[in-house]
Amino acid sequence: MNKLSILKINNLTKKYYNKTALENVTLDFEPGRIYGLLGPNGSGKTTFMKVVAGLHKQTSGSVLINNEDLSYKTKAYVSFMPTENYLYDSFKVVDILKFYNDMYDDFRYDYAVNLINAVNVSTSYKITNLSSGQTGKLKTVLALSRDADIYMLDEPLNGVDVLARDTILDIITKSHNENKIMIISTHLVSEIEKILDTVIFLSEGVVELFGDAEELRQERQLSVEGLYKEVFKNA
Amino acid sequence: MREGDRLEFNNNVPIYLQVIERIKQDIVSGKLKPGEKMPSSREYSNELGINFNTVARVYKELEMEEIVFTKRGLGTFITESDMQIENLRYTMAKERITAFIDGMKQLGYTIKDMVEFIETENNHTEGNE
Amino acid sequence: MLNLIKYEFIRKYRLISIVLITALALNLLIMTRGPEGSVLFLTLSPFVLYILYFVDIIKMYSDDLNKKTGYMLFMTPSSGYRIISSKLIAAVIEGFGLLLIYFLFFALNGVYILVSLDETVDFSSIISNINKIFSGSLGYGFNIFHLFMLLLTILILIIAFITTIYTAITIRKSLFSEAKFGGLFSFIIFLLINWIVSTLSNGFYNFLSKVSPYYNSLDNIAGAGRFTPETLMMIFIPIIGFSIIQATALSWISGYLLEKKINL
Repeated sequence: MNKLSILKINNLTKKYYNKTALENVTLDFEPGRIYGLLGPNGSGKTTFMKVVAGLHKQTSGSVLINNEDLSYKTKAYVSFMPTENYLYDSFKVVDILKFYNDMYDDFRYDYAVNLINAVNVSTSYKITNLSSGQTGKLKTVLALSRDADIYMLDEPLNGVDVLARDTILDIITKSHNENKIMIISTHLVSEIEKILDTVIFLSEGVVELFGDAEELRQERQLSVEGLYKEVFKNA
Repeated sequence: MREGDRLEFNNNVPIYLQVIERIKQDIVSGKLKPGEKMPSSREYSNELGINFNTVARVYKELEMEEIVFTKRGLGTFITESDMQIENLRYTMAKERITAFIDGMKQLGYTIKDMVEFIETENNHTEGNE
Repeated sequence: MLNLIKYEFIRKYRLISIVLITALALNLLIMTRGPEGSVLFLTLSPFVLYILYFVDIIKMYSDDLNKKTGYMLFMTPSSGYRIISSKLIAAVIEGFGLLLIYFLFFALNGVYILVSLDETVDFSSIISNINKIFSGSLGYGFNIFHLFMLLLTILILIIAFITTIYTAITIRKSLFSEAKFGGLFSFIIFLLINWIVSTLSNGFYNFLSKVSPYYNSLDNIAGAGRFTPETLMMIFIPIIGFSIIQATALSWISGYLLEKKINL
């Protein structure tokens, strides 16, 4: 394929004092695909995303976004949804929207407002008063209301009730197009696998598996979740 | 749109195969009319709650089997060929019959038994109508 | 950049309101105890204000580096240099704001004191005195320009000081991000930086006194115990110069570390 590589990772390594979070990870991401980054706790999924988002600095290796090295500028191409509660507590939903609008050129304010209302969250709610389901929906809406090249969602279904999960998956698929890359990390493999194009299994910082979801189903006659359980049964 | 479009998928089998199966079924049962326009990849993927790449693959496969055809700029359409649809009906029916026969044989039924069973069942159903 | 500064204050809005309302309520309460209360308030409040100011300044930066809410800022496409600059500018603006608030309280209590001492508040004489200050002489050959230089020196010293604090925090969070007792570590780094800065500044002033003959008269001033306008300027200008270099260098270091070395 001759498509411009939006995200190219080469021998990415991230070491901490007492552990290696990522080890020689080499991956090429094609536009138009939804990637599932799967693995148990501590496998390096979050670290990977935070390095690409510019929140952590790699120990060695290269990350190229639109053929540029990581810098504050590449943050404009990446829309990251952390799994943690990172929103300013004292703000209301509408204040957070305004913040995003002011800080990001590609933020679609009206689109975000419509989406927020569609998922039954009012813009006048205070962040501290939101339930975990509402926070989950809000974070996803924020990330997907940006018109970025790369979206990374870290556990978007965490803390979200079963009914809201379908809504979130809906928003994800509707925000995707053939020019964008989506990377979704999750434990809840069974719920998310039907929207995944490619799956990446990460174990202790190492890529164990990288493949097309449908091909894997055909070859192994297993769901991605089944395969996940097999690969990680010892984890 | 239509009810049941959001049915649960079996994650153990390639999803695109399941969508293909469903479309073939709808064509044969008449739910999808010959020449009817299918939704775009994007629209259909939104309806089904899956990835648009999967739907694109579905359409590609169906086009290779000549069950749908694409008109550039206009979209994807169900074939208008009655013969094609008949072939499809036959192929699908044959699959089901073969599976049925195999299954019943495993229970120890002969073909004659199977035919009798079917006729009895049919009489019961007609009697109840 | 303006946006970054704007949001620093939007985030503080609630805190500022609480502090103001509390201060006003406290002031009015104390006033009921007579003019001595006002004097007490005016003398104690600067200390409280200083403490609140520095705690808030430190929190403003370290919260964004240590808490998850820092992601809001650090996911934006802002360079490390821009981030540290916006924090410093916000700190300066906040300082000015607090100073202004203090002056308002000063005026309020001042009037109250004069009134309760049965002194007629001679506004015209107050205003003419103020005019005198602004138009010319403060006595002994000093004028408004010297006052301005004094305030400027103090301001730049404060900026340099805050920069030292911020750089200590940045160094800790980037180079020693896995160290335990982060706050303690930052403080140690802060002391270290101060030691380095004061060694350098001593060297600088020594160099100055060797290079420029009239600088020696600083000792003479100390001996005579009296400032003249000229000697004051001689003291201010090197201090301002050195502090600007110090603040710039440290900001650059912080900006660089935020760009290249930070792990949130």
